[in-house]
Amino acid sequence: MNYIQTLRTAKDVVTPGMSACQGCGAELILRRVLQLAGQNTIVCVPPGCLGGSGVVGWDYQTGMEIPVHIPLLTNTASYLSGVSRMYQRKGRGDVNIVCVAGDGATADGGFQSLSGAAERNEKILYICYDNEGYMNTGFQRSSTTTLGSHTSTTPLGSVISGKEQQQKYLPLIMSMHNLSYCATASPSHMADMVAKIEKGLAWSKEGFAYIHMFSPCPTGWLYDIDQGIQIARKAVQSNFFPLWEMENRKYRMTYDNKKPISIADFVKDIGKFRDLSEQDLAAIQSMVDDRYEKLKKLSSEADCNE
Amino acid sequence: MSERKHISPIGQEGLYVLDTASWRTHRPVMDKNTCVECGICLSYCPVNSIIFNDENKYEITYNYCKGCGICAVECPKKSISMVAEGGEDHG
Ligand code: SF4
Ligand code: SF4
Repeated sequence: MNYIQTLRTAKDVVTPGMSACQGCGAELILRRVLQLAGQNTIVCVPPGCLGGSGVVGWDYQTGMEIPVHIPLLTNTASYLSGVSRMYQRKGRGDVNIVCVAGDGATADGGFQSLSGAAERNEKILYICYDNEGYMNTGFQRSSTTTLGSHTSTTPLGSVISGKEQQQKYLPLIMSMHNLSYCATASPSHMADMVAKIEKGLAWSKEGFAYIHMFSPCPTGWLYDIDQGIQIARKAVQSNFFPLWEMENRKYRMTYDNKKPISIADFVKDIGKFRDLSEQDLAAIQSMVDDRYEKLKKLSSEADCNE
Repeated sequence: MSERKHISPIGQEGLYVLDTASWRTHRPVMDKNTCVECGICLSYCPVNSIIFNDENKYEITYNYCKGCGICAVECPKKSISMVAEGGEDHG
């Protein structure tokens, strides 16, 4: 079965009407992850865009056809550690224990509990949808926000011009926790994304599996609502968001980029980079080139999923 | 809520469902003559509004489609066009 056949038959367990913005990358990610996880799943969605979009329920209504929890911003991974251990103890290791969290709940506020659960190798699939900021509360910067991005806490003005720091590269940090499985994925490369979700689910039966996903945000990044997949594709093609995975301690590039496009081309149609200076552009390009080289050195082979 | 039937009341009143079709300013319309049934639009729709129907064809449904236009941009055959919604009727 190819990935499209898989998707067209996999049941969507999320409410059909949720209040994520038109063209939201995170809505696409949530639906794909849970379509593949299926009904034998317990999911945690911490505060964030998805937590705020109705999928965790509202008053006496639920947001999904499977059990869904909303933990705090800071404790998603420890919350799920308890759920996972209880299900192991009951002899129900077959249940998928899954989290779909934003970058704030993952890389910033939730990092301590995430790092702890990863180090203990808890049986969880942790998905981070990285839209580079606290988009749900009004587009504040996070540690994964790119240098030079215009956010509500890194405005354009006479003192600063967008975010002053480079982004933190969380997936590599996570892989260093000796995880069972670690990967990056982009919705533009859907066959690769589907394959990685399936692997992540399988590995979560052995231990901690982590997938870091590129999540384009039309409202916070200021681009046309129909352009999300185009932007995600350029993020991969420019090496801004390299696709790789780590399995059995081996790193592997899953998209071998023979002719990368420039970062200037990637940022061109994204409003948050509108006033990017030449220096910032050069600094992002050099960080991206450096990161890609490091990843290639770590990878033993290049063998693509699509 | 007159009588509690569950330990946790969450879900007692069913599924939370928002009328997202009312957000739409443009609707995606598929040209069946040029569509090659590749399913790419289905794979990218964030709302899962594109289905594979009983006649084994890809079909756009309008009950929740938000009108983002991603399907129209991603279709390799340019078989989907975005048409302005008219008046109050969001069918
Ligand atoms: S992407 Fe285009 S050609 Fe492919 S199934 Fe959809 S409408 Fe048809
Ligand atoms: S316009 Fe957007 S929501 Fe509607 S079918 Fe196309 S991709 Fe799905």
